[in-house]
Amino acid sequence: MIEVRNLTKVYGQHRAIDQINFTVDEGEIVGFLGPNGAGKTTTMNIMTGFIAATSGDVSIGGLDIIADAQKAKAQIGYMPDTPPVYGDMRVDEYLNFVADIKGVKRSLRKDMLATIKKQVRIEDMSRRLIKNLSRGYRQRVGLAQAMVGYPKVIIMDEPTIGLDPKQIIEMREVVKGLGSKHTVILSSHILQEVSAVCDRVMIINKGKIVASDTPERLSANLNRGNNRMQVRVKGEKSKILKALQEYPLIRNVDTQTSPETGTIDLILSGEKDDIDVREVIFKCMAKNNLPILLMKSTELTLEEIFLTLTGDVRSGPAGYGQAGIISGDIPVEINEEPANEFEEVEEIEAPEATPEEETPVGGDE
Amino acid sequence: MIPIYKKEMRTYFTQMMGYLFLAFILILIGLFFSLMNLRVRDANFQDVLGSTTLFFLFLVPILTMRLFAEEARHKTDQLLYTSPLSVTQIVLGKFFAAFTLFMVAAVITMLFPFMLSFYAESMPVSRIVGTYVGWIFVGVSCIAVGVFISVLTDNQIVAAAGTFAALFVMFLMDAFAISMPTSAFASIMFVALVVVAIAGIWFNSTRNILSSVIVALIGVAVVVGLYLINNQIYDGIIVRVLNWFSVYARFNRFAVGVLNISDIVYYVSFIVLFLYLSINVIEKRRWR
Repeated sequence: MIEVRNLTKVYGQHRAIDQINFTVDEGEIVGFLGPNGAGKTTTMNIMTGFIAATSGDVSIGGLDIIADAQKAKAQIGYMPDTPPVYGDMRVDEYLNFVADIKGVKRSLRKDMLATIKKQVRIEDMSRRLIKNLSRGYRQRVGLAQAMVGYPKVIIMDEPTIGLDPKQIIEMREVVKGLGSKHTVILSSHILQEVSAVCDRVMIINKGKIVASDTPERLSANLNRGNNRMQVRVKGEKSKILKALQEYPLIRNVDTQTSPETGTIDLILSGEKDDIDVREVIFKCMAKNNLPILLMKSTELTLEEIFLTLTGDVRSGPAGYGQAGIISGDIPVEINEEPANEFEEVEEIEAPEATPEEETPVGGDE
Repeated sequence: MIPIYKKEMRTYFTQMMGYLFLAFILILIGLFFSLMNLRVRDANFQDVLGSTTLFFLFLVPILTMRLFAEEARHKTDQLLYTSPLSVTQIVLGKFFAAFTLFMVAAVITMLFPFMLSFYAESMPVSRIVGTYVGWIFVGVSCIAVGVFISVLTDNQIVAAAGTFAALFVMFLMDAFAISMPTSAFASIMFVALVVVAIAGIWFNSTRNILSSVIVALIGVAVVVGLYLINNQIYDGIIVRVLNWFSVYARFNRFAVGVLNISDIVYYVSFIVLFLYLSINVIEKRRWR
């Protein structure tokens, strides 16, 4: 459906995008993921024919976006990051205007606009002036605009930016619904969004595509699967470590004190990379009568994958990229009073500030 | 083109601009009409029209300043330029909307000579008709310039000020032209500057030194060649070029009631040139 070949855009000395290649099949929902300034918007602006590439081609349904501009553009609905709406128009007037410029037949128009307004839930806003609408509603009008004429391809630049959590969920539902009839490309710098909605994720950084796959596979590829587990065990540290020594299959990677009194957190991994260590851990602990309170895979989240791929671990929020350290489980400092949530969060940013010996729950001594 | 035209017409009257333009132009012409025709009992309405062409300097910016500048500011240009409409359709739609509003004003002012005709002993009909034709051509030429300048910026104020400045220069073009040197040396220098400018623009859009130099050399060759064929060809060229831009100079010929085909062709080509430039500036911004 969409083919992008060797796309490059240079602004002065700056390469906004650099030799990007990808294809999108019909009916796919593809997410562009990347930090601000990665080249997402530039790529989309080029794909929709708003700006020209320095070199490379884009074809939409076999039509070149430059050579066959009119026909190619007729197949695209574009929702830029700022909704392209006219404040002095009412919602209905605006959608009718969009239908006009897209050449939607009069006979089809009424039903089409009614359906679209229902899909994006702006039926009640039909008579309102767009300048009086809230940001969220404007965003939806912007999406409705892209859907007018039922183009084969819908391209959305940061569709959920500026929406509240409820609106974000609604917007995701709408986008998922689009996937059945349209080919959808959306961009986002929010990972959950992309993994929630998209069939495929393309991670863009510094103008290059660094990875492209399904959200699950991306995460599986960079994962050691069930080879590396975080385990919380009730019991004394020395006893636990001793128990582990009987099972050479398990490698004790790391011990941490846990926020729960009388327990200890361990990061355990298998001897070899392809071993599932869960069963062994269970047997080991069961034999020594050490209750396992928690066991989870230290699977990389999309955040971590993203940061790993973009090689940007340092600049991310602390804690990301360090697989295995789970926010709530980091030791909390000293005080006898139970630490509240906020202090915990602060601690995450500076875990090294926690002196071992002052930790109330450790089993070191 | 039609949807853009309809949208612009609507916007003229949902925002203030349409009313503002009509109010200003009608008040001004009404004022001149009462001073120059009614109070002195004179039926020469063409003098009123002649006097009001000056006010195009600030009336036309009202009409054209927001056409493209506002689209760029509110990013609605993304909708237009990614729609199946061609840039030509968009530019023409907007131009014709401004043109229509201007014609509405022109038609309303026709009531004044119509009223006069009931009381005047003899009406200079041919002069009034001729002046109207010229007046409309001057106004529409100014609109074309305004459209072009609105394309260049995303700020309405800049568009308005720029249009005013451009029209002001056009208005004074005759005076400029007279004071320009006509010597052969000055003319050659002027032509050389034009060649350099063209090569510069070429370099700016291609970033290729070699081809720019070739363009410059071809330019020089053409200039020299033409001089060898006809050594009078550059005499007074500065004045001739500047005069071409003097939209107002030709107006006076209409005012005496002469409808000269060459003048009409001039105005039409002036308008087409500026619309063509507008289309190309937009296209180029997108297709570099």
